[in-house]
Amino acid sequence: MEQFINITLDLLVGFGETLKIFFVTLAFSLPLGLIIAFGSMSKFKPLAAITRAFVWVIRGTPLMLQLIAVYYGPGLIFGQMLLKATTAVYITFSINYACYFSEIYRGGIESIAKGQYEAGQVLGMTKSETFFKVILLQVVKRILAPMSNEVITLVKDTSLARVVTYYELIYFAQRYIKNAGLLWPLFYTAIYYLVFTALLTFFFGWLEKKLDYFKA
Amino acid sequence: MKILEIKNLRKRFGDIEVLKGIDLSLKKGEVLSIIGSSGGGKTTLLRCLNFLEKANSGEIIVAGETVYSANEGEKPVMSPEAQLSFGLVFQQFNLFPQYNVIENLMLAPKLRAKRQKNGESLDDIRARAEKLLATVGLTEKATAYPCQLSGGQQQRVAIARALMLSPDILCFDEPTSSLDPELTGEVLRVIRSLKDSERTMIIVTHEMEFARNVSDRVIFISDGIIEEEGTPEEVFSSPRSEKLRAFLSAGEK
Ligand SMILES: Nc1ncnc2c1ncn2[C@@H]1O[C@H](COP(=O)(O)OP(=O)(O)OP(=O)(O)O)[C@@H](O)[C@H]1O
Ligand SMILES: [Mg+2]
Repeated sequence: MEQFINITLDLLVGFGETLKIFFVTLAFSLPLGLIIAFGSMSKFKPLAAITRAFVWVIRGTPLMLQLIAVYYGPGLIFGQMLLKATTAVYITFSINYACYFSEIYRGGIESIAKGQYEAGQVLGMTKSETFFKVILLQVVKRILAPMSNEVITLVKDTSLARVVTYYELIYFAQRYIKNAGLLWPLFYTAIYYLVFTALLTFFFGWLEKKLDYFKA
Repeated sequence: MKILEIKNLRKRFGDIEVLKGIDLSLKKGEVLSIIGSSGGGKTTLLRCLNFLEKANSGEIIVAGETVYSANEGEKPVMSPEAQLSFGLVFQQFNLFPQYNVIENLMLAPKLRAKRQKNGESLDDIRARAEKLLATVGLTEKATAYPCQLSGGQQQRVAIARALMLSPDILCFDEPTSSLDPELTGEVLRVIRSLKDSERTMIIVTHEMEFARNVSDRVIFISDGIIEEEGTPEEVFSSPRSEKLRAFLSAGEK
């Protein structure tokens, strides 16, 4: 019993590391995704083309490969590691998720009727006022379901950080195999992920309810 | 005093010329109805006046001041006041769904006040909004959301919202065309009440009876030009052109 409690607490520390990736990634990728979305919708064709090519590369290659490239790449090219594992993980995850989010944003933004923009213009509102005061919340409402999918995927993708020596939950559990011959902690980690994704599901359900007051 | 003058306005979409030189002027307080068959360019004209489309050439003059001028092949020149000289009520209302009625009215004036140094106070904006809601008969719906309103009520909100910016000229593009027939009356009544308060209005409509009763002048647009123009009496009772006669008799059937 004491062992169980000790391992539970130890894994909780590991899960804390997992959550750091989760929250840092969201903090950067949610706004960055919007910028990428604007880039990919730009009327300036070269910018749109470059942005879309970038999104294609990021979405078209495994996140694990990107982690390895960002972390070990500079070492291979310059003969010297440039980034700490933590930094490499934050950067890679943020960019990767920003690209996925950007496509969801773009779909949402393009689905808003152009009459909404026109109403804003005719009422003398600037383009950015119309976007932030009128369009954005309608977009948020529309993209809630795909966003919640993506965010829940992120919870589990954090386990990839291990490949560049970022010690997160799975790593913590695996040590018990090597050091103590215990296999169960590894499977026990599932509980942490399940509980957290359950919380997220509740959160998104609550948000959906909050936005239920209008139709868009 | 002419409040609006349009000189030789032309608009092309690709190779297709949709407005082929529109000349028009309006006195303050005058109500102009625009009739014409589908595809004639009525909506395009209103959209050019509200700068949702940029006319390729021509001039738009409001109260003696040129607010828009364009020459073929050159970048159009638009004055900063141009946009707010005009208001537009859309066929599809285009209310902002996440805001309730009073917020729909107040949003644009609030943002404008924030942009200015000595902008209108929030209390003044609210007072004006409440007054306009009363005008369109929707005081008790102030905190309702657009999805809770009938089409006719939504359109009345849209009219009040446009009036909040006090445009010199208020344009309507088929304001009742997406409404059930039993709801058109309430919207037309509101528009008529605005006539009594000396608003200058341009109304594109298929409601011939309404056009006849409410307007000071009617123009018939066909194929991008003003085919015929006159008082409602002249246009409806003694049409001169073959096209207008055909259009009017088609409507009677
Ligand atoms: N954005 C656009 N791109 C290309 N063509 C357009 C565009 N907008 C309008 N047109 C064309 O311009 C012509 C005039 O259209 P407009 O909508 O002004 O007619 P309308 O008189 O309002 O007709 P309706 O009574 O059906 O509303 C039509 O042939 C239409 O297809
Ligand atoms: Mg039209």
